[in-house]
Amino acid sequence: MLSTLELSPQTLDADAPVRIAVKNLDFYYGEHKALKSINLDFRDRHVTALIGPSGCGKSTLLRIFNRIYSLYPEQRATGEVMLDGRNVISNEVDVNELRSRIGMVFQKPTPFPMSIYDNVAFGIRLYEKPPKSELDDRVEGALRRSALWDEVKDKLKSSGMGLSGGQQQRLCIARTIAQKPEVILFDEPTSALDPISTGKVEDLLEQLKSDFTIVIVTHNMQQAARISQYTAFMYLGEVIEFAPTNTIFMNPHKKQTQDYVTGRFG
Amino acid sequence: MTAATDMMTGPAAPAIRKTPKGTFDIVFRNASFIAALMVLVLLAGIMLSMIIGGWPAFREFGLGFVTSSVWDTQNDQYGAWPAIVGTLSTALIALVIGVPLSLGIAVYLTQLAPAWFKQPVSTAIELLAAVPSIIYGMWGLFVFVPLFAAYVQIPLSNIVEGLPIVGTVLYSRSPSGLGILTAGFILAFMIVPFIASITRDMLEQIPSVLRESAYGIGATTWEVVRHVLVPQAGVSIIGAIMLGLGRALGETMAVTFVVGNANRLSASIMDPGSTIASRIANEFNEAMGLQMNALIALGCILFFVTFVVLVIARILVSRVKSY
Repeated sequence: MLSTLELSPQTLDADAPVRIAVKNLDFYYGEHKALKSINLDFRDRHVTALIGPSGCGKSTLLRIFNRIYSLYPEQRATGEVMLDGRNVISNEVDVNELRSRIGMVFQKPTPFPMSIYDNVAFGIRLYEKPPKSELDDRVEGALRRSALWDEVKDKLKSSGMGLSGGQQQRLCIARTIAQKPEVILFDEPTSALDPISTGKVEDLLEQLKSDFTIVIVTHNMQQAARISQYTAFMYLGEVIEFAPTNTIFMNPHKKQTQDYVTGRFG
Repeated sequence: MTAATDMMTGPAAPAIRKTPKGTFDIVFRNASFIAALMVLVLLAGIMLSMIIGGWPAFREFGLGFVTSSVWDTQNDQYGAWPAIVGTLSTALIALVIGVPLSLGIAVYLTQLAPAWFKQPVSTAIELLAAVPSIIYGMWGLFVFVPLFAAYVQIPLSNIVEGLPIVGTVLYSRSPSGLGILTAGFILAFMIVPFIASITRDMLEQIPSVLRESAYGIGATTWEVVRHVLVPQAGVSIIGAIMLGLGRALGETMAVTFVVGNANRLSASIMDPGSTIASRIANEFNEAMGLQMNALIALGCILFFVTFVVLVIARILVSRVKSY
């Protein structure tokens, strides 16, 4: 059915524990209800893709998991988002600590105005005070894992703003994984990148899933098909269908899903 | 009628636009060139007349004009040192007080303030920036000075009297409320609106995704502001501070009201002093002969100091950029 989509044989472990469990989640921008009773399970060390047309609420959902929405007083969520037995949207959660455990990579690269080294070390230094040598090792390790080390090892002290867009995005990924989070949220991480940089970031995602639970929002269906093991199709603030990626793309149960993944609307 | 004919023949014979004669272009180009040239002519003219006017004083006293502290109109002896020190110290005090205040206002307004509070404060800042300096001067003299004398100068002098260093710097021999520190305060109030509103605009222009990603790795508001937002706006903030410094150095009216206009140099910032601008404003009316030349020479020095500040600002800005 989908000849243009290259589906890589994704190994998924159906017995993997659930890392984030979303139950009856509603979300409001002021009076506007943007998400309607979402129920989703995100499995440990798997990549889950959120797809759907613009405005369907997939980025909104992502921004709930690390409580970024809390920066804006008119936004609120009700329901349950369970992470390690805690409801992350309850007021008792320490949001800064939560955010250090749930990393996020944004649409546009966001290097901080400091050196490449400090960009990566920044997140580590917020919560730990490792000795210099250990910090060096962790920075190097994070840069290696994000496939950036060879390109920047001779200019660690120069500004992160001087890198190309693709390098900046990998720097942001390095900064995120340096904190050793449990979950990494990607909000259309390649939408501002050229195809080659996109390929590098996708390769990176492929490797990261052995250590991290990954949730990725993407407009690019090929990308979702290539890198994810589970896919949720969302439309108008609701989850229409949630299944293993192969099912969503090859054999969707709902007609809306089929129309969307074949490009008939969206 | 013509329009109808045109429409009928229009498609058949496409009108080719001839290049109009270049007369207007030439006039336009020259007119805008002259407008731009005016800047250079004005600047050169002002500089030249200042140098010519101040020359007799420079020739009479040499380098001593800058280093001498004497200002004696009876014997025609003039030295600029107290005024130079007064100018720099009032401006420095203004920055020390004004910059943290401005940054605080800008950060609060852009990051923390609830919407209902943000708008009135922003408008108030714009209004403060538009208040004429004579108003600041009057307010300073009639309201601030008596309060400052009663509640700061007198108690503080009693405390620091006899102590080393602070006993000199903060001791007020005649606690009238007038002085270098008072002028610094008034100048700080005057430059805060400028620095705060520019800084606020710069912080507001930072894309929200950068702010979110700083929060997103678990940074607190303080860490986000300190390590990400302020450095991101860094160059512009330095520019805003320099703009404020430029204003503080040249401000005349408000300072003349509250600085005390003493010609002697004092080691205490509580004592009256004078700045270059206040000295000129005070004496220009009755000045004649060499005194007039000395005042113009003072103007020259102010010009030079402001220029140096501008150059330093440029160097700082370019250095931050290259990082």
